[in-house]
Amino acid sequence: MARPVKKATRPCDDPRLDYKDLETLSKYLTPQGQIHARRRTGYCSKCQRELKQAIKRARHMGLLPFVGS
Amino acid sequence: MNLYEGMFLLDNNVVREDWNEAKATATGILEKHGASVTTARRWAERSLAYTIQKRNRGSYLLVHFEADPDKISIMRRDLELNETVMRYLILTCDGVPEGEAELHEAELSADFSVPEPPEDHVVDSDEEEESEEGEGATEEASEEAPAADAPAEEAKAEETPEAEEAKTEEAEAPAEEAAEASEEQTEEKSSEEA
Repeated sequence: MARPVKKATRPCDDPRLDYKDLETLSKYLTPQGQIHARRRTGYCSKCQRELKQAIKRARHMGLLPFVGS
Repeated sequence: MNLYEGMFLLDNNVVREDWNEAKATATGILEKHGASVTTARRWAERSLAYTIQKRNRGSYLLVHFEADPDKISIMRRDLELNETVMRYLILTCDGVPEGEAELHEAELSADFSVPEPPEDHVVDSDEEEESEEGEGATEEASEEAPAADAPAEEAKAEETPEAEEAKTEEAEAPAEEAAEASEEQTEEKSSEEA
């Protein structure tokens, strides 16, 4: 039984997402400041959790918005 | 002892006076509780994504330090109480990243100087009220002229995804009806006058 292959935009063995890498993180935010859904990022659940964590850390430090301008 | 990475958002007013003093307040709290600071450097000075403690700009300090895990909670409490440190983030880390030590050394050298942080536009409560009033006035104006609003909504719909397009279409329909209704009313009035 072959599993359905999901088109991943980021291989899981890439370097970990960092909250300081704002250029990368801001790509995964809507203009309103929401985090893109899994179906939009194409991430596996582990990578998506990592992305969520990194964005939330950046938001706490005032680097990324909670609500877009 | 574990290795930690700490990011501190420092008050620009203190940084403007002396960067080293602002840096020392943050690292001092860590060292007070037995931490040994490996690297400490200025990461950035930038405008904040949202207002924090009535400030729109801040300086970031990036620190790598070794500390006893039991002492972290006490450090957090001290950092909360400190007014120079506006926000902080303490994370465990596997190792000091490459190039971090060089940047730390560069900051210790004599010819290192911190650029003056730009003036911050501090938001007063009075100014906020004024801006709200201004917004209210524009809303009223748009209500008076619903027909003029429709083209603007169409322009928005082009930019936004399909889901929102449907909403704006719905919104346009009543606006057009209202415009027609108002025209009818004016016609009636004019006929009465005649």
